[in-house]
Amino acid sequence: MKDTKAIGRMTIVGIVIVIIIIAGVAGYYFTMPTTKLKETLVMGTTDSVESCLDPARAYDYFGWEIIQSLGCGLVEYKAGATGSVDDIVPSLAASWNVSDDGLVWTFNLKQGVKYEDGTEFNATHVKYTFDRGIGIDDEDGAFVGIGYGGIINNVTVTSTYVAKFYLKIPFAAFLSLLACQASYIVDPAYAPMTSVVVYAEGNARGSHPMGLGPYKLANWTRTAGKDYEMRLEANANYWNASGGYPKTKKMILKFYADSTGLALAIQAQEIDIAFRQLGATDINTMKTNTNLKVWEGTGAFIQYLVLQEKYAPFNNTIIRQAVGAAINRTTIVDTVFLGQAQKLYSMIPIGMFGHTDAFLTLGDPNYTKTRELLADLGYNETNKLSFKLWYETSGHYPSSPQQAQVLKSSLEASGVIAVTLDYADWPSFRTHRQNEDMDAYILGWYPDYIDPDDYIQPFVDSSGGSWIHHNYNNSEMDKLIAWARGNTTAAARSSLYSQIQNLMVEDCPMIPTYQGSAYAVTTLKIKGVYLDITQSWRHWLLYAEE
Amino acid sequence: MDEPKVKKSMLSSLIPGLSSLSQRGLAGWLVVLGFIMVASIVVVTAISPWVVPYNPSQINVGKPLLSPNSQFLFGTNDLGQDVFSRVLSGGGIMLEVSILSVIICLLIGVPLGLFSSYAGGVVDRFFCLIMDSIYAFPGLVLAIAIAAMLGRGVTNMALSIAVVYVPSYFRVIRSQVLSIKEMPYVEAANAAGAKGRTVLSRYIFPNVVPSIVVVATVNFADAILTAAGLTFIGLGVSVDIPDWGWDLTNGRRLLSSGAWWVIAYPGLMIILLALGFTLMGEGLSEMANPRLRE
Amino acid sequence: MTLRTYVISRILLTIPMIFILLTMVFLVIRVLPGDPVLLHFEKQENPAAMEEMRHRLGLDRPLWVQYFDYVAGLFRGDLGESMQDYSSVTQQILSAFPATLELAIFSMIIAVSIGIFLGVEASKGYGKTRDNVIRVFGIVTYAIPVFFLGMVFQMVFGLGLHWLPVGLRLPPRMDLPSGLNVGSLHFSTGLYTIDGLLEGNVYKFVEALRYLALPSLTLGLVLSGVFIRLTRSNMFETLRLDYVTAARARGLSETTVTYGYALRNAFLPVLTMMGLQFATLLGGAILTETTFSWPGLGRYIVDRINFRDYTAIQGAVVFFGIFVSVVSLVVDLLYAYLDPRIRL
Repeated sequence: MKDTKAIGRMTIVGIVIVIIIIAGVAGYYFTMPTTKLKETLVMGTTDSVESCLDPARAYDYFGWEIIQSLGCGLVEYKAGATGSVDDIVPSLAASWNVSDDGLVWTFNLKQGVKYEDGTEFNATHVKYTFDRGIGIDDEDGAFVGIGYGGIINNVTVTSTYVAKFYLKIPFAAFLSLLACQASYIVDPAYAPMTSVVVYAEGNARGSHPMGLGPYKLANWTRTAGKDYEMRLEANANYWNASGGYPKTKKMILKFYADSTGLALAIQAQEIDIAFRQLGATDINTMKTNTNLKVWEGTGAFIQYLVLQEKYAPFNNTIIRQAVGAAINRTTIVDTVFLGQAQKLYSMIPIGMFGHTDAFLTLGDPNYTKTRELLADLGYNETNKLSFKLWYETSGHYPSSPQQAQVLKSSLEASGVIAVTLDYADWPSFRTHRQNEDMDAYILGWYPDYIDPDDYIQPFVDSSGGSWIHHNYNNSEMDKLIAWARGNTTAAARSSLYSQIQNLMVEDCPMIPTYQGSAYAVTTLKIKGVYLDITQSWRHWLLYAEE
Repeated sequence: MDEPKVKKSMLSSLIPGLSSLSQRGLAGWLVVLGFIMVASIVVVTAISPWVVPYNPSQINVGKPLLSPNSQFLFGTNDLGQDVFSRVLSGGGIMLEVSILSVIICLLIGVPLGLFSSYAGGVVDRFFCLIMDSIYAFPGLVLAIAIAAMLGRGVTNMALSIAVVYVPSYFRVIRSQVLSIKEMPYVEAANAAGAKGRTVLSRYIFPNVVPSIVVVATVNFADAILTAAGLTFIGLGVSVDIPDWGWDLTNGRRLLSSGAWWVIAYPGLMIILLALGFTLMGEGLSEMANPRLRE
Repeated sequence: MTLRTYVISRILLTIPMIFILLTMVFLVIRVLPGDPVLLHFEKQENPAAMEEMRHRLGLDRPLWVQYFDYVAGLFRGDLGESMQDYSSVTQQILSAFPATLELAIFSMIIAVSIGIFLGVEASKGYGKTRDNVIRVFGIVTYAIPVFFLGMVFQMVFGLGLHWLPVGLRLPPRMDLPSGLNVGSLHFSTGLYTIDGLLEGNVYKFVEALRYLALPSLTLGLVLSGVFIRLTRSNMFETLRLDYVTAARARGLSETTVTYGYALRNAFLPVLTMMGLQFATLLGGAILTETTFSWPGLGRYIVDRINFRDYTAIQGAVVFFGIFVSVVSLVVDLLYAYLDPRIRL
């Protein structure tokens, strides 16, 4: 009798324990917040907004990426664009035309587009935006950096839905300029005329002045001076909502300190999308991961070797050409970037209108030419040409130390060059650049607007290129550049840029090395990723099926 | 007083363990072990130019990111460099930086500590205040700031580490001097009319030496770790000089690929080197201040 | 001297120390090569715009004016504006600090726990194998570069075993803990573990702990060696004392003797050491934060140095310095209160 009672009690205790455990586990799972893939996507990045989300001041890649989702421009590049003028499609402007002298651009605006308070978008808002941007004249911003004030004379409201831009100079790339995020239209209710809108803690709406884009900024948290989290939510008033945009209602953006952190996160599938910046090795690892998809696309980022012409040895054109002939781009592309880049023979990127493989004539590499050119000047195996090659150590450009190491190897393989490497962190590197005391240094470039002009004028024009501090001046080059940027026929521009690139090879002020490809890594279900020449990341096109 | 005997006993307190190390038990073994570790790394680094199978800086001697195999004992890194060769020759920078920083610390910290604590009064208060302020400064931050300020190079890295460490020497020496100052034989020397300098050099300094040695070994270890830390932040040496700290920093970018050998071996070497010094420090400190034995 | 005199003199000593720290920081940073103005002009260098920028950043004023302006601001609690995005440095630091504090607290908990446990274990037999092994363990953990250990953990526990997360503070999809929300009372500390509890959301609390696990384990492990050594040596001294022998003779169990009697005495130095190690901890946090994408003050300082953001760097270092001074002051005062011998 005693035993049965004991067993009975034990059984009851056992059952109770099991019930408690089940209840606990079930309770745990039921209180777990569930996530719906379709409604919310999570994207990770190592970028961060550098200054703010106001087009009047923002001039960094990520700031522009977010501005693009929160606002709208008069025109835009369609997804999958290749950079030609045909890829520019109407956005807030329904149609446009330009006068014969290229100085007056007329835009007919879309009607029925509403801001969130119900005000209808019209030409006065266009005028307001550009008057504001040029008036604020913020030193940090694209308006000063690109020089809007030197291009646009004024904006006139001809009628409710017609705005005219009067330019100071004929500017062939004007449409491209209007497609860039600095030209995005603001909402006067949130954009004071004379001041820049900055990050406001706890007040996401008050932290940016746009309002016509596919998304609203639901939450923006910054910690320690960098972005910590951003939440985008679909804009119910979006004028293009009928097209089904944005495809995903909510986007959460998370920020990682470096490429390794981001790589580990996407591998663990804690995030759905990883974009900028993953290292070459990371991308390679992910290509073999069957749970992830690697998207590859055209990049517009280029890097190049600058040669200081102020003093010896690079004040001598022959020496510059000799060095140009000794660059082995294959090692850079294959060893440093594991094939995730393209060899670049022109400052104008591959895939862009006007590009020619101009520098290929120098060789890739052509050590015979290097030796010949240098032999005439008395350099040989025993008397090598020696100079210092500088690189930056702050990670401002991808793999700078590796590029330097590889460049050194390739230059020294000619047998007649001796390279000493020197380095500085980015701020010191900038100071050295300004002091013009580096023989040769590596720089990189990201476009402001999609046009060959943006890859030429800021480099080899005597005034436009002054920030590079390499003391290159050629009035012939200046003339060609001015013609090319003013002339509106594609054929004429093409021929001019061809001449410009050939002249660059003759003068050899800088040597383009590679063009980076763009990569994004996502989980298998994600669709709608477009990596085209515009480098725009279009949040509103992304989606994932359940 | 029997001069030779006094001298001999002072000598043996100067070099603890002169009487057989094994008598000291674990402490002795620690010192020996630590010394062997450090010495072997020094030797290997010194002879590395002649024994490396491949040029450590040469790129593409093998395919990138090969795991350890018979041809490349420790595998290759992302630039196709041989990790084994880099491990053999990569200690140079660490050793240079730590030795240099210890020398600088000794040259600055010891005289300062001796002088300040012996002089006492306002002078002592003043130096104490400065040293405490530096000590309160988060060490790595100060080192980063100074290294960033001075620019690149081994000397500057050593200088920045030294500045952070001088207060440690100062404090240890000061506490020792303060206790020794009150000792009867020092009082006796003073009463006998010995000059300050004499008292310092003949009586106080020799007794402070054991503590200095201990602090120096810890300083070595910390200097190595701080040098690695500075390199990690980006304030290291040029990419074409083989350096363990650089390999760790660079290896971090490769973490996602699972290429553990790029980080593991250089990291292990840094640990061994720092460990060697720490063991010596532990052993010496135990010998100088023997702990209780049951 | 009395406790009151000691307290006052300690406090008075802290103030000039902070001042010297402040001045040192101010000068050191301005000697750094590299110009914050330049860094605003990535593409194009418009001389007029650069002059404007220099004026806006206040860098065109003489050095002593900048210094006094800075000190005056400090008294108001205003640490100035960041030279990158002009936002309040005080705001940035206050947003970054809780993350570092949380990391520091948990690392300290781990370090002290490991330290005390192993220290006590080691003290049970001097020179025995257990003692030697533990001593070596303490020495070895000290010699490991903290970021190396961090990377090893990431590879093993994150990449390899998938047990623990390796970056950030919470799962990406999770809302940030909101802290206490009762009626109109909103209170959050910024420490996600506490905020999660305050909000009553156990799930957030657990996740915050999971994300804290690897970083604090890394930092805690490297720090534990000091505590192992301290506990061990103090336990040896205490265990030989008469009252311990007496307790044993009375028949109390070994556990009670060890943990109840002996450890209490050994604990005081541990407390002091915790205060001293706080500064080391905050310094070590820099490398750990970078390794684990932890958005704290350490990473903040490194980022700001890369931008030569003078005001931010000054602000952060002064903040660090003041915090460390206050902590060591509190520890010293506590010690003086608990141990009257110190005040003599």
